[in-house]
Amino acid sequence: MKRIVITGYGAAGVTAGDTLRELGFDGEITIVGQEPSRPYSRPALSKALLADHRQHPDLSVLSLPEPMHGAQELLGRTATGLDLGRRVVRLDDGDELPFDGLFIASGARARRFTGSADELTLRSLEDALELRRRLSTRPQTLVLGGGALGMEVASGAHALGCEVSIVHRGVPMSRQMGPVLGSVCAREAQTAGTALIDDVAIAVRQGDSGLEVELASGQRLRPELLVTAIGDEPNVEWLETSGLLEEGRLVVDEKGLVTPEIAAGGDVAWMRKGQWMRRQPLWMYAIDQSRAAATALLQGDAAPAYEPKPYFWTEQFGLHLRMAGPPAEGQPEVVEGAVDTTQMLLRWPAERSSDGRGTAVAVNHRMPVPRLRRLAAAVDG
Amino acid sequence: MSTIRIELDRPRCEGHGLCEESASDLMHLDDEGELVLDVTEIDASDERTVAAARAAVRVCPVAALKLAS
Repeated sequence: MKRIVITGYGAAGVTAGDTLRELGFDGEITIVGQEPSRPYSRPALSKALLADHRQHPDLSVLSLPEPMHGAQELLGRTATGLDLGRRVVRLDDGDELPFDGLFIASGARARRFTGSADELTLRSLEDALELRRRLSTRPQTLVLGGGALGMEVASGAHALGCEVSIVHRGVPMSRQMGPVLGSVCAREAQTAGTALIDDVAIAVRQGDSGLEVELASGQRLRPELLVTAIGDEPNVEWLETSGLLEEGRLVVDEKGLVTPEIAAGGDVAWMRKGQWMRRQPLWMYAIDQSRAAATALLQGDAAPAYEPKPYFWTEQFGLHLRMAGPPAEGQPEVVEGAVDTTQMLLRWPAERSSDGRGTAVAVNHRMPVPRLRRLAAAVDG
Repeated sequence: MSTIRIELDRPRCEGHGLCEESASDLMHLDDEGELVLDVTEIDASDERTVAAARAAVRVCPVAALKLAS
């Protein structure tokens, strides 16, 4: 391989580029990035950046290390097509980039109900700055979705003095962290004065005085500020005529390869493993999985399969939660603290955890990942 | 020998410890979850060590580590 093109320049794209160099690839690398800036820390957008209440926030909280890939960077450009026969990526300005190897890291975008500029989402730096600007007048805020992003946004809005409601079917955060911790998050959000509405939005319409949200129950809400945090949609439209998609999905094997010459990593990729297929649109996975996929692009069969090492963290309503292992059902072993307080160390032994390796969670407890993982994997007795 | 320095912005460090997983020969977290840099200067020609240091820097969720030559 002499020329590798990377489409997408977030955590996945930059990791792919750097990994190729670390493994000794000395050919040409071209990276196409949709945003005008180099990659930054996306998790910090809804955490540190939202918590910084100054008018001019410290953007260095978003900084990532300088890339080492020495690639040609095409910023503010988007891949719009892929011709596998001619091995070229087409760009939005009509240019074509020939390649021997392709790394797809085109990411995902926020799901939303409307194209209205009044329906905010949080995905990019631009989104985050707009959200901060809108929140500064302390509007009465409605957040659709009680996953990690929705809860972090709600927490940030609450800290700024906004009256906040969250629409979420069931217990917030339970998909990410399991029902026990979901209930802890819900309790702290409510204690802070946030309203949890156990319902789901089915439509958002432009009314005479702003956006109107219709819930499944029939209730209609007219918030001063609407933030939608109901997940993401992979950016695969540019691949639609390429023949690469399976029922609209970009599917990679256990190493991260689509074909021997095409790898993919990050939010765009569905990984097939045995009978199931999974997409894990989280920052940590984007880095780990892209490193594995870039290795596979260069080394092929000799490259190891990607081994996920689940780690998840969030900050919301005074809770700093860190979880090693997959979300677990059932009651945990309480190692320290108590579930009805805001400080605890919990453990779900291997037999109760969905990946058979155990799960451990630290809440407001400064426990580093290596120790948390050891706790998760510890054998009983 | 040219060296690369590993620098820690301590106030920024939240003690996630993902860096230790990437470069356990270079750094570890102590019992209080504070990061300790066991090595602060590495040989720029030692590719394996440099790669480990870079991986540690990249994986930090709060950008508390950086490399300076």
